[in-house]
Amino acid sequence: MEKMSRVTTALSSNAISGRTMFCHLDAPANAISVCRDATQVVVAGRNIFKIYALEEEQFVEKLNLRVGRKPSLNFSCADVMWHQMEENLLATAATNGAVVTWNLGKPSRNKQDQLFTEHKRTVNKVCFHPTEVYMLLSGSQDGFMKCFDLRKKESVSTFSGQSESVRDVQFSMKDYFTFAASFENGNVQLWDIRRPDRYERMFTAHTGPVFCCDWHPDDRGWLATGGRDKMVKVWDMTTNRPKEIYCVQTIASVARIKWRPERKFHLATCSMMVDHNIYVWDVRRPFIPFATFEEHKDVTTGIVWRHQHDPHFLLSGSKDSTLYQHMFKDATRPVDKANPEGLCFGLLGDLAFAAKESLISSDVNRKPYPGGDRRYPIFFFKKPDPTEQFAHVSSALSVFETDLNSNHMDWFVKTAQLYLLSGKPFAELCDHNAKVAQELKRPQVSTTWTMLRIMFSDPANLTATGPNHNLSSKLGTLPLMNSFSMKEMGTESRLERSKGESRPDNTHLEPGTSHISNNNEENEETEGSEGQAEYMFGDAELDDDELYSMEHDNQTVLLSNTVLSLLPLPNRHEAEVTCLTPIESFSLISISQPLYSPHLPGSFFCPIAREMLSYYAEQGDVQMAVSVLIVLGERIRKEIDDLTQEHWYMSYIDLLQRFELWNVSNEVIKLSTCSAITCLNQASTTLHINCSNCKRPMSNKGWICDRCHQCASVCAVCHHVVKGLFVWCQGCSHGGHLEHIMNWLKSSAHCPAGCGHLCEYT
Amino acid sequence: MKDPEPTRPIHYITSVGLAPYYTETSTETSLFSASDDKPRILLMGLRRSGKSSIQKLLCSCVFHKMSPNETLFLESTNKISKDDISSSSFVNFQIWDFPGQMDFFDPTFDSEMIFKGTGALIFVTDAQDDYVEALGRLHLTVSRAYKVNPDINFEVFIHKVDGLSDDHKIETQRDILQRANDDLADASLERVHLSFYLTSIYDHSIFESFSKVVQKLIPQLPTLENLLNIFISHSGIEKAFLFDVVSKVYITTDSSPVDRQSYELCCDMIDVVIDFSCIYGLTDAGSGCAYDKESLAIIRLNNTTVLYLKEVTKFLALICILREESFERKAIHEVFEVDTSTQGAVWRPVSSSGSNLSGLKYAALNGGAV
Repeated sequence: MEKMSRVTTALSSNAISGRTMFCHLDAPANAISVCRDATQVVVAGRNIFKIYALEEEQFVEKLNLRVGRKPSLNFSCADVMWHQMEENLLATAATNGAVVTWNLGKPSRNKQDQLFTEHKRTVNKVCFHPTEVYMLLSGSQDGFMKCFDLRKKESVSTFSGQSESVRDVQFSMKDYFTFAASFENGNVQLWDIRRPDRYERMFTAHTGPVFCCDWHPDDRGWLATGGRDKMVKVWDMTTNRPKEIYCVQTIASVARIKWRPERKFHLATCSMMVDHNIYVWDVRRPFIPFATFEEHKDVTTGIVWRHQHDPHFLLSGSKDSTLYQHMFKDATRPVDKANPEGLCFGLLGDLAFAAKESLISSDVNRKPYPGGDRRYPIFFFKKPDPTEQFAHVSSALSVFETDLNSNHMDWFVKTAQLYLLSGKPFAELCDHNAKVAQELKRPQVSTTWTMLRIMFSDPANLTATGPNHNLSSKLGTLPLMNSFSMKEMGTESRLERSKGESRPDNTHLEPGTSHISNNNEENEETEGSEGQAEYMFGDAELDDDELYSMEHDNQTVLLSNTVLSLLPLPNRHEAEVTCLTPIESFSLISISQPLYSPHLPGSFFCPIAREMLSYYAEQGDVQMAVSVLIVLGERIRKEIDDLTQEHWYMSYIDLLQRFELWNVSNEVIKLSTCSAITCLNQASTTLHINCSNCKRPMSNKGWICDRCHQCASVCAVCHHVVKGLFVWCQGCSHGGHLEHIMNWLKSSAHCPAGCGHLCEYT
Repeated sequence: MKDPEPTRPIHYITSVGLAPYYTETSTETSLFSASDDKPRILLMGLRRSGKSSIQKLLCSCVFHKMSPNETLFLESTNKISKDDISSSSFVNFQIWDFPGQMDFFDPTFDSEMIFKGTGALIFVTDAQDDYVEALGRLHLTVSRAYKVNPDINFEVFIHKVDGLSDDHKIETQRDILQRANDDLADASLERVHLSFYLTSIYDHSIFESFSKVVQKLIPQLPTLENLLNIFISHSGIEKAFLFDVVSKVYITTDSSPVDRQSYELCCDMIDVVIDFSCIYGLTDAGSGCAYDKESLAIIRLNNTTVLYLKEVTKFLALICILREESFERKAIHEVFEVDTSTQGAVWRPVSSSGSNLSGLKYAALNGGAV
């Protein structure tokens, strides 16, 4: 008892120390409260009512207030409060509606002091006046708040919340006479203790019950409320009309709320449903908790800061029958786990990107983003708070706009429109398509078409057109094309550039022929224009690794291209062979020599063509893959598995339809050989039939109109129902079987139905 | 006190501090006395504000449930429709659904007759509509009714809030509250208290709000609540509801806060139990009501929660929410075994709700004993 009566007023004189610790209680706790000098804590629940001393390393049970052989219901507490002025005074709210006060100074075992049984239903909250020793306030489920003078036997005044259950009552820190009460219907009322007849002010704070409220300790007139709608709201009560100044969204209903001492914007909350954690929020940052305590295994029922001037210790009681002391430095910081970068696309392709400022600023100069610029940099700064253990973080938000007028996909549209896919001999199709590609400044594609023509053409055609001429003319134009290719898609340009850089590896193996020197020139051209490429595609600057992988891919294609272009030649242009590397020529000769045939069959190239198609498809040019597939038709189809083909077709058709190239898309569907694709055209076609007699829609069963009960389309000649081709005169709308009408009109010019119309069949 | 042991004699605790409650309730006759002065609940409001929908949802026989969507097609109500759900429900009250275009100044409108004996007046306003007209009507209705019978509880349902955003909801409620109270103050009727509820037929808010309205009309509420408090504190149950099966209104719960989700779970559980009873429980006699005193259901949720439903009387069901651990400790199991074994003595034929109440009392007491 001596220890209890010792009064410590200021924190500085006796700094609190301790660690995160817990102790097991015998039963679930409902509420906890600390005495003023922060050395003891009282835990109250339905089956527990004990006082623990807070020591350096552990909790020590001091006193069990639940005495007697048959504990009465008055011990079953819903709430408890330790008087902040009087060391020995406690009050509890019992579930049976009793308000009990306890005097620890009593010499007997039973410390019960006063008993008020005025409430009819469970008392949810008791609250001592912060400065007045004998004033106690209670709030009950029955909708009444009662103010007790502890020197009297009964309540001095009763405040009616008008039949709404009271969930919390709190005396104001600022105003001696004012208290706030929160209600189950979502209202908060302010009362003057001297005027029990009517509330001073009422406002709707939450949808659904308001479970708790707490006045800001630094008498600002701020009131924090928490409710079942999972919100914490901070109200400024000093204005004429309560104004919501902060709102925090939590994940579970808010059952308890306590402002953190010495921190203006911090408050701790816990939930009595679902969620077991205790959160400390910075109300200015409503979406992510400042700190979290995750120790409890069942819902937390009571939280209290250990000392009213010390922000580092939080005590909590829980339904899992434990009492915890949390050290603030041991809290988890959800902010640390949050992803500090955010990325979001706008409706029109705009891109917003937020990241730590340091991250962005280091990149800003070196790495402008493709397809847009940093137009709207917005900077957010959080005020540095030196007392917290956090590094201050500022972040930048950049918005990138895409250029809506960019012509990036023009080549696609043009190519789609201009390509010929059928209707001409194979060689002509290839030539035409190569020309189209060339005009659109896509040399690689153009070369591929030429290549294909050479590989798969009949020998007769081959000699007729003269491949050598073709090749040299093509190569002659190459450098020009290459320098222009920068303006195309990023992948294209990468391709060309890596191609350019991979070339030297080849050239030093090859003796310089006219073709190769052409290639070298082309290289120089490419490298010369690289500055421009960089300007266009700042981020396309590849790492060396990436380049190598690209190079590798390209080389195979490139080599196969060079090799293939020369393949048909050995027979007639012996000199040309020298331009092959020794190994390659060896392999070629080893295959071609034993055959002694003047040219290779098309099937020999199928594997290469297949790789080429896959390559294009993987590069994103599914247009090329599908076009080649259609043009080559039977020659290649067996080589590629059906699913892949179908996939390419689908992608291409989808692309075409996005660009509203309906005709092309339809042509592709028609020309495709996949059954899954060809049926696309059939799926969307509906034919509506009207009855020829009553002109109303026919139901789709049978040939008889169900309205006029007549056969719908009767042949005018034979008077039978026409089930196949029906031909009719657009003048008199009579008709019938195609054959019958044709026969009829041979002999007569008049309508067979006898309407007198002069029908004409063309 | 350590954890309650299940083997303790059954009637051990019945006398501890609970005798007053017992004597108090044993003298009660019925929740609401004679049938002709059953407390009425009046539903009023402008036309198309949703009164009939509410009535249909609440009072439609459980075996012919009406889904919220169906209520869209309800015809306008032309005359007062009186729905007496006392025959199928524990709660003996009548719901009078008034047509929206009711004229108070019509000589045939007998306000004496209507407002006398009315327990609660529910005024339904449409939150999605312009509510200025509704507020005028509310003022008129309240002032008339208050003149005749000052004891009426006035409840305002701000209905159809499902279409509003959360911010808008609270703003609407605040505005309506402000205007309505100002109107009353102008007419110097400050003493009239209006309670406001945000409701929607698409979730359970209408049932919850109606529960609150009904609870205010039950004089025994504090006693019942205390009993449930005692019951759950001695049996490791987290939350207990006493439900009226027909209307899914909860008569009482313990004093811990009601969680929307748990409430909805309980409502759904009743639906499930009724549906199951209809499929498998109908006897050849086929009285139409498969829900009887044998009804009991246990639903285990995958979050280690157990829902436990036990019928109390023909129309009442006790639904408990508890943890799997405490369920396995068989605390609650024992309670209900006691119930059934003592039924002959305690549960009298379901004739008056008074006896049902005392039965419930026993259930709770025995719960305490286990």
